Amino acid sequence: MSQTAIIITVAYGIAVVIGSAISIAIWRSTTRPLQEDRTWAWSRRESAWLIVVLLALFALLMGTIFYVPYGESAGPNKQVVRVTGVQYAWAVDAPAGIRAGTPVEFLVTSTDVNHGFGLYTSGGTLLRQLQVVPGKTQTLVHTFTKPGVYEVLCLEFCGAKHHAMVATFEVKPA
Amino acid sequence: MIDDGARAVARRLTLQYLGASTAILAASGLLGVLLRWSQAVPQARVGDNFWYAMMTAHGLGTFVGWAAFAVMGLSWWILAGVGFPTRGFGLVMARATWWLMVVGVAGVVVTTLIMGFGASWVFLYPLPFFGSGEWGAWATGLFSFSVLLAGLAIVTWCFGILHTVANREALHAVSANVFRRLGISLGWGYLMPRTFATNPKPVPYAVIPLAVIGIDMIIATLPLAGLLVWQILESAGWVGSADILLAKNILWWFGHPVVYLLLFPAVAAYYWLIPRYAGRDLVAGHVIAIAWTVAVIANVLVWAHHIYLDYPDGTLQAQINTAMQPMTFSLVLPSALSLYSLGFTIYRSRFRWTPASTALFFGLVGWLLSGLSGVVNATIALDVAVHNTLWIVGHFHHMAMLNIGLLIFGAAYALLPELTGKALYSERMAWVHVWTTFVVGMLVFGLWLVQGLDGAPRRFSVLPSSYDTITRISLPLVFVLAAAQLLFFWNVFQTVRGKAGVATFDERGIPEPAKGGRGWSAPAAEAGLVLAALVLAFAFAVGGYLVGRERAGGVATVTVPTETGGAAAGDPARGKELFASSGCGGCHALADAGAAGNVGPSLDGNPRLTEELVVARVTNGLRAMPAFGDRLSEEDIADVTAYVLQSAK
Repeated sequence: MSQTAIIITVAYGIAVVIGSAISIAIWRSTTRPLQEDRTWAWSRRESAWLIVVLLALFALLMGTIFYVPYGESAGPNKQVVRVTGVQYAWAVDAPAGIRAGTPVEFLVTSTDVNHGFGLYTSGGTLLRQLQVVPGKTQTLVHTFTKPGVYEVLCLEFCGAKHHAMVATFEVKPA
Repeated sequence: MIDDGARAVARRLTLQYLGASTAILAASGLLGVLLRWSQAVPQARVGDNFWYAMMTAHGLGTFVGWAAFAVMGLSWWILAGVGFPTRGFGLVMARATWWLMVVGVAGVVVTTLIMGFGASWVFLYPLPFFGSGEWGAWATGLFSFSVLLAGLAIVTWCFGILHTVANREALHAVSANVFRRLGISLGWGYLMPRTFATNPKPVPYAVIPLAVIGIDMIIATLPLAGLLVWQILESAGWVGSADILLAKNILWWFGHPVVYLLLFPAVAAYYWLIPRYAGRDLVAGHVIAIAWTVAVIANVLVWAHHIYLDYPDGTLQAQINTAMQPMTFSLVLPSALSLYSLGFTIYRSRFRWTPASTALFFGLVGWLLSGLSGVVNATIALDVAVHNTLWIVGHFHHMAMLNIGLLIFGAAYALLPELTGKALYSERMAWVHVWTTFVVGMLVFGLWLVQGLDGAPRRFSVLPSSYDTITRISLPLVFVLAAAQLLFFWNVFQTVRGKAGVATFDERGIPEPAKGGRGWSAPAAEAGLVLAALVLAFAFAVGGYLVGRERAGGVATVTVPTETGGAAAGDPARGKELFASSGCGGCHALADAGAAGNVGPSLDGNPRLTEELVVARVTNGLRAMPAFGDRLSEEDIADVTAYVLQSAK
C-alpha cells in the first residue's frame, strides 16, 4: 500500500467507527422515547451543525489542496521517458535507461483511445497514476528511490484486452 | 389533500415504474453476480469482451434502469402524498418517461449482450469507435440511440416533476408567477418569506430535493444528448471525430448529476417516510433551504472531480479540477444537514421498527458511510491513490445498493400495501432480506474498498493474481446477497397476488402485519440463525478450498486453442508492408524493418520463432499483444509471418 492509501485507510476506518457508533446510539435511543417535545431546540441547533460542517470541510480543504499533482517540475537534472499507450500495449521509450535517485519526467500520450498510466512496483503497490488523453501529452514526475522492476498497468478502461495492457521496465541503481 | 382520482393516477404511475425497475434489477443484478463469479473462478471465466459487455449492461441496468427508475417512480407517489397531483402536461411527461426508459434499457441490453458493445457505461469517447473488431458501427449507433432514449426519459421526467411541483394550488403560492412558484418549491420561502410567499403553510420538505434535481438534470442531460447524437452521426459516417477532452467533460457534466438523480428523490422519500415511522415532524431548521440552494447550483459545477487525473499540458483542465474540489466539498452540506435532520427525527422518538423502517434506517447508515468514502474521492490529494481502483467500485455500490437500494426496498415494504391495497405477504421474509442485504452488502462492498486501497484496478475482466484471495472470499458473499434478493422478489410477487389478504394500517398510516401472518417464533428465529451460519461457513470453506488449490498450483491454465490451418507460405514483400502498416514495430524490435520497439519480445535474435508460433500470436494475441485475427486476413498473417521468419536475425 502507498502512503496515501494508508492515510485513507486510517482516516476512513476512524470515520466508520464514529459513524457506526452514532448510528447505534440513534437506534438504541428509541427504546427510551422522550416524554416532552424537544425537537424545536434541535431544529434551531441545525445552524450550529452547519457551521461545524463548514469548518471541518474548510480544514480538510486547506490541509489537502496544496498537494495536487498538477504542474510538477522535474528540474534541470532529469531523465525524460516517453510513454505511448495504444490498444493494448505500452511503449516505454527510455533510450538511456532509467536510474534511481534522479527525477524521471514521464511524457505520456496515446494514439487511439483514453488510457490510464498506472505505475506499480513489482510487488503491486500503486505508486502514481494519471490519465492519458489521445493526441495530448501529460506529464508525471517521479523519482524512483529503489532500483528494480516496475510495472505499468492501464487504469482507464480501453477495450476488450484492457486488463492485459501491461508493460514492465527496469530501474537501475543510481 | 388531493382527490381520489389524482391519487389513482399517481398510484398507477408509481406501480408501473416500480414494476419495470424491479424486473430490470432481477436481470442486471444477475449480471453483477456473473461478473464477480467470472473474476473469481477460472473455470467460470467468460470471454473478455463478453465480460465487458455484461459490465456495460450491468452498470446502465442497475444504476439507471433500476435505482434511478425506481426512485423516479416513487417521486410521483411522494408528491401525491404531500398534496401535489400529477396532471395535464406533467402526466403526459410522466407516461412518456416510462416508455422512453423501458425501450432505452431494452436497447442497451440488445446492443451489449447480443451485439457485443462493451465500452462500459461511460462509453468514454472515442472508445465506441475503437471496438477492436468486437463490435461495429451499428452497435455503437444503436447503443448511443438507446442511451439517448434513456437520457430523454430523464428530461421528460424532469419536466413532469417541475410541472407538478410548480402547482400553485398545492404550493399555496400567493404569486402566480412561475419563477416565484419554482422558488417556493426550492424552499426559498423559508429564507425569503415575503418574496416567496405562501398562505398559510410553507412547502413540504420532500418537494425541495425533487425541484432541485428536476432543474439540474435538464441542464446536465442536454449536452450529453448532443454528444450521443454526434456518436450516432459518426457511426453512420456523416461527421468526423469530436474533441476528445471536451467529450470527456460533457460525459461527466452528466455523470455527476445523474448520481444525484438517485440520491435527491431518495432524500425526498426519507423526508416523507422517516417522520411517519418516528411519529413526529421532520426536525429541520430553515437552514436546510440554504443547503438545497447550494445543491441546485453546485451539482452542475462539480463534474471535473471525476477527471481529477486528466491534466494534459496546454489545457485548462488542472485549473478547472482544482476549483472543483471546494465546489464538491460544498455538496456535503445537503447530505450533512439532511442526515442531521433525519437522525434527530429518529432520536428518542417512538420509532416503529418494521422491516420497512429498518431498511430506511440502514439506508441512512449506508448514506453516511458512502458519503464519507465520497469525501476521499472528492479530495484530489487522496484521489490519486484510489482513482479507477476497486475502491471507487466499493464506494458507489455502497451508495447505490446500501443507500438508494435499501431506501427502495424500505419504500416498497412501506408503500406496497397502500399502493396495491394488499397486505405484505411476509414480514419475516422482509426482515431476513433487509438484514442480510445490509450486513452482507457491507462485507461485499467493503472488500472492494480493501482491494482498491491495495491498488486493484477497476474494470478488469481478469484481475492480477495477487488480488485473487479477496475476490474468492467475496464470491460466496455475493451469492448470499443475491439469494437474499430472491426473498424480496418472491415477497413482492406474493403480495401483489394478494396472498396475505387486504392491507390494514395503524393510526400513523403504517401497514400492519398481515392478519394470520406468521410472526417470528423463537425456534424459527434460532433455526434461521443456525442456517445462516452454516451457509456462511460452507461458503467460506468453498472459498478457502479454491484459494488453497490456486496456491498449490492445481488449477489448469486456460489456454486458447490456436488455429493454424491453411497458413500457406506467404509473400514476404507484402508482409514487410503489413509489418509497417499494422504497427508491429511499435512494440517489437526487427532491424530489417527499422523497428526498435521494446514493449514485446525482440524478433531479432529470438530462438522461439516458428511459423506456428508467429501465426498463433498474431492471430490470437497474448497478454499485451493484441489479436490481429479480426483485422488481418489469414493470407495477410501468412505474409507477415513469412517476412518475420525470413528477416529476423
